[in-house]
Amino acid sequence: MPVLKPLSGDGEAPKQFKQPSRKGKKAWRKNVDVTEVEQGLDELNAQIIKGGVIAEKKSEELFAIDVKPDTELTKKLPKQLRKPLKADEILAQRSAVPAVSLKKRPAPETSGKVTDGVLPSKRLRATYVTQKELSRLKRVADGHHTTTVEVVDATFDAWADPAEEKKKKQVEETFNFLPKAEKPKAPKTLTQQPISLAATGKQLPAVPKPKGDKSYNPAFTDYSERYQEELRKAEEAEKKRLEELEKERLKQEAAARSRAEAEAAEKRAELSEWEDDSAWEGAESDAEGLAKKKRPERKTQAQRNKIKRRKAEEQRLKHEAAIKKKEAEAARVKQIAKELAEKERQLALQKAENPEEDDASMEEDDEVELRRRQLGKFKLPEKDLELVLPDELQDSLRLLKPEGNLLKDRYRNMLLRGKVEARRHIPFKKQAKTKVTEKWTFKDFTLD
Amino acid sequence: MPKIKKKGQAGAAKNYITRTQAVKKLQLSLPDFRKLCIWKGIYPREPRNKKKVSKSATASTTFYYTKDIQYLLHEPLLQKFRDQKVLEKKISRALGRGDVSDAARFERHAARPEATGKPRYTLNHIIRERYPTFNDALRDLDDCLSMLFLFANLPSTSAVPAKMIARCERLCLEFQHYLIVSHSLRKSFLSIKGIYYQANIQGEDILWLVPYKFNQRIVGDVDFRIMGTFVEFYMTLLGFVNYRLYSSIGLKYPPKFDQLKDENGAELGAFSLEGVNMATQGETKAVTSGEEQQQGPDPKVQAEVDKIIKQLKEDESKNDETAEEDAEADDEEKPTDAIDKFEPVAPGGDVLPQPAYSSNDPSQLFANFTFYLSRETPRQPLEFILRAFGCKRIGWDSVLGEGAFTNDESDPSITHHIIDRPVVQAVASEEGDGEDNQTAQKVGPNQRYPGRIYVQPQWVWDCVNDEELKSPELYAPGAALPPHLSPFVKAAPGQYDPTLPLEAQQTEAEAIEAELEDAEKDGAEEGSDVENDMDVDDAEDDEDEEEGDEEEEEEAEDEEMEEDEEESKTLQRQLELEAELQGKKVQNKKVDSKTKAKLEQRKALEKKAKEEAEDLERAKGMLSKKKRKLFEQMQYTNNKKSAQDEKLRAKRRKLEKEKAQKA
Repeated sequence: MPVLKPLSGDGEAPKQFKQPSRKGKKAWRKNVDVTEVEQGLDELNAQIIKGGVIAEKKSEELFAIDVKPDTELTKKLPKQLRKPLKADEILAQRSAVPAVSLKKRPAPETSGKVTDGVLPSKRLRATYVTQKELSRLKRVADGHHTTTVEVVDATFDAWADPAEEKKKKQVEETFNFLPKAEKPKAPKTLTQQPISLAATGKQLPAVPKPKGDKSYNPAFTDYSERYQEELRKAEEAEKKRLEELEKERLKQEAAARSRAEAEAAEKRAELSEWEDDSAWEGAESDAEGLAKKKRPERKTQAQRNKIKRRKAEEQRLKHEAAIKKKEAEAARVKQIAKELAEKERQLALQKAENPEEDDASMEEDDEVELRRRQLGKFKLPEKDLELVLPDELQDSLRLLKPEGNLLKDRYRNMLLRGKVEARRHIPFKKQAKTKVTEKWTFKDFTLD
Repeated sequence: MPKIKKKGQAGAAKNYITRTQAVKKLQLSLPDFRKLCIWKGIYPREPRNKKKVSKSATASTTFYYTKDIQYLLHEPLLQKFRDQKVLEKKISRALGRGDVSDAARFERHAARPEATGKPRYTLNHIIRERYPTFNDALRDLDDCLSMLFLFANLPSTSAVPAKMIARCERLCLEFQHYLIVSHSLRKSFLSIKGIYYQANIQGEDILWLVPYKFNQRIVGDVDFRIMGTFVEFYMTLLGFVNYRLYSSIGLKYPPKFDQLKDENGAELGAFSLEGVNMATQGETKAVTSGEEQQQGPDPKVQAEVDKIIKQLKEDESKNDETAEEDAEADDEEKPTDAIDKFEPVAPGGDVLPQPAYSSNDPSQLFANFTFYLSRETPRQPLEFILRAFGCKRIGWDSVLGEGAFTNDESDPSITHHIIDRPVVQAVASEEGDGEDNQTAQKVGPNQRYPGRIYVQPQWVWDCVNDEELKSPELYAPGAALPPHLSPFVKAAPGQYDPTLPLEAQQTEAEAIEAELEDAEKDGAEEGSDVENDMDVDDAEDDEDEEEGDEEEEEEAEDEEMEEDEEESKTLQRQLELEAELQGKKVQNKKVDSKTKAKLEQRKALEKKAKEEAEDLERAKGMLSKKKRKLFEQMQYTNNKKSAQDEKLRAKRRKLEKEKAQKA
């Protein structure tokens, strides 16, 4: 019978082990505890006396199957339990004729027509839903429905002069005494341009104007310039990558070295523990040293004064340094202003020199310097390299191998102009991680 | 004591709303919210201080203006989204119960709005909201066209249904038809990504990019749900823009679309345009040329014209001139040499712009040619560009689809044949001159028909961009093509431009200098030979050259230039010296009158330059210090640039001279 017991132990107070001492040869045998064996033997004797060892008997000899009902038992029960319920009786009644199905069926082809009484061999299942359709429905239920926008041909001018409409409205209003519900006004924020990801904060063109180097048959100077530029970029990226690798390698090496050192030190320590007895002395003396360390004495008044003076001096120096710094910065204000002016002048110069390059429409999407903080959690995807290699450069349109992916390009352009935030494709939902554990109450459960 | 302000009750915290809050407020699902934002033009914003805005401990990533979201609550589309959500719930409940047929029924009824009385929605009302004027819409057309042309060229997948692609294609073709009729295409550029087009519609420059055929790979890192949302919106927009544009030139929208022709790959040819007022007559007429009324004509006058036209029709002799204004349509059209004249039939009728063979009108650049596109050329862009620049008769191989003027390559009316295949060696040797290809009688593996011009496709683009017919010899099949330059890059004045001849771009001083040099070299040919030898190799293939080589050359040239200057400054003395070196007598006579005149000219020019410089110096004195410095710096860089350009021009002059000498 299961019994609840405390979490551990047998519920008794802790006590000494009962086995007496076994010191000495005599005591050794005499004092061995054989109560368990004796008990078992006693039990065996008792069983033999009662008619044989139970473990050796067959199960037929031990048990009997009772197949006769106990008639007395039903009599003992109360009357209302002895009889089945009326409701059960009614429900138990069954008609020989099968029930009419409640399923909806299509009406006969011409309702009211007298059939010949022969049922059609195969009934069409109008409501049958194929597996494919079912999976689609499931998707719809999950919100993956196809487009619901109805794209129809334009049948009116969306930008027709609104004056006529207004006139019409006015006519209506003269005969209408109820004030019309006002339309909600669009907030000013709605007309604000999206945040472009360019560092300059300028709006970027949807389609940047292509330069000569993007031509399928470029002029040599254009192409070579672009090619060198790309080469330089690739080289830089490679250099950076190698540098990072080197850094990683150095880091790992250092870690390995320190690990090895630590291991060696440990080994040495172990060795010294077992073999160098002399080390004990040192350790002891160290411990003594610690123990012997003097407790700090009470400070004298002179000492206190000294400390006070030192602190005041420190405070004064700190204050002076701060003032000095402040003054230096104030002096630098002019310099900073000068620097700013210089920067401004450079910008103006650039603007004056080439006013056409000023507008961003000539800048390719990948040339735009990005702002530091981007929208959303994810980074803007990198742009594909759009460059035909020199050995692939053909001057025939037929042999042209188009570069770049326009789909990606458009998507990136949207992100760049801040129309939407960058997203990442998540192939499947993140599953909740489960960990199987056993409840600790299993420890409270025993079989007695 | 001032009133204590609570955190998060005013300021940025109230102005901004996080995305999750917005979604909750609108009671939408996130994808629906995204859609709505794209359609309504609500973009993510960035508060100055994110911590002050969000109350949660975790950093929120996206913020919107609270007012924007509040305004979205009034959007009628919101109700549609909620209806959809209700439907989804119904379906999922039915599926959960195992009533699959019920779920199917719900879905079916929702998809069949005429049965349920709940119409699907359109984005019509948003168009006017987003673009209050037509010009606003035109300004955003760059993106719209690039997107739709791209989607029209995508393969259909589960993410991009075929229906959407077909719709995009149709809208794009309709738009192209407008450009053809109105001759508003301006420039086009063959890039490695695709083909850029620029059109000018009502004063707005519109630039878009069309991919090459059969090149689009679908990649995983593009969110098709978002792209699809944009495309849905842009499809509606382009529909309205097309309507407006068509009605602005008196055409009926939508144009008649022939399904059968489209299936046979007729593309542009599958549409037949109708005039608005012709529809009242009950007869449709294909109108694809630019000889249209520019505005909708006065109905009264039009009625009168119609009456007269009817009368005219009865007598057969005159009906060609008026009624069949333009039977060009597609293929039935016959080539005619004469140009029809249009005179106002009734007093007060519209005066039609007269077609003319003027070479000035770029929109009629290809008007009197008949083109044939051979099998390997890209038909769609070529057909579009040729038509947009006035060409009426374009034939092509039947492989390229229906709608050609002729499929017969040997048609005698063909004047230009666009070809892009390599020349077989045997024939190549024959047509070494480049002129042979037009007159060659031989009909063999490189079949050539006499009396027509064979050009490579780039000729069409270069002609269009320069608004003049380029010399076809440069573009003959097998010839090394001149570089295809971007028409969007404008050369600054004085900058070296490889396409222009030297005379057009060199400065006066440079020209005089060069001529003097010539004269001088005539005098001392030995020296010039030596100089020339140094740079002969740069006449060879430019592309094989290394950068280092070029630099060296430049250095060499620098020296030469300096040398030249000295020479010309003291020409007389130099001549004497040279003569001395060569052990000849001093040849004073060689400095003939021509050279003298040049020298004087140069002197005058130098004087003028000096005076100008002095003027400038004086003017600079008037400027403030800041501006003067700016100006000086500008001058410095400009000089540097112009020196570079001068060097390039000098190099070219040398090359040209060498060529002339060789020839």
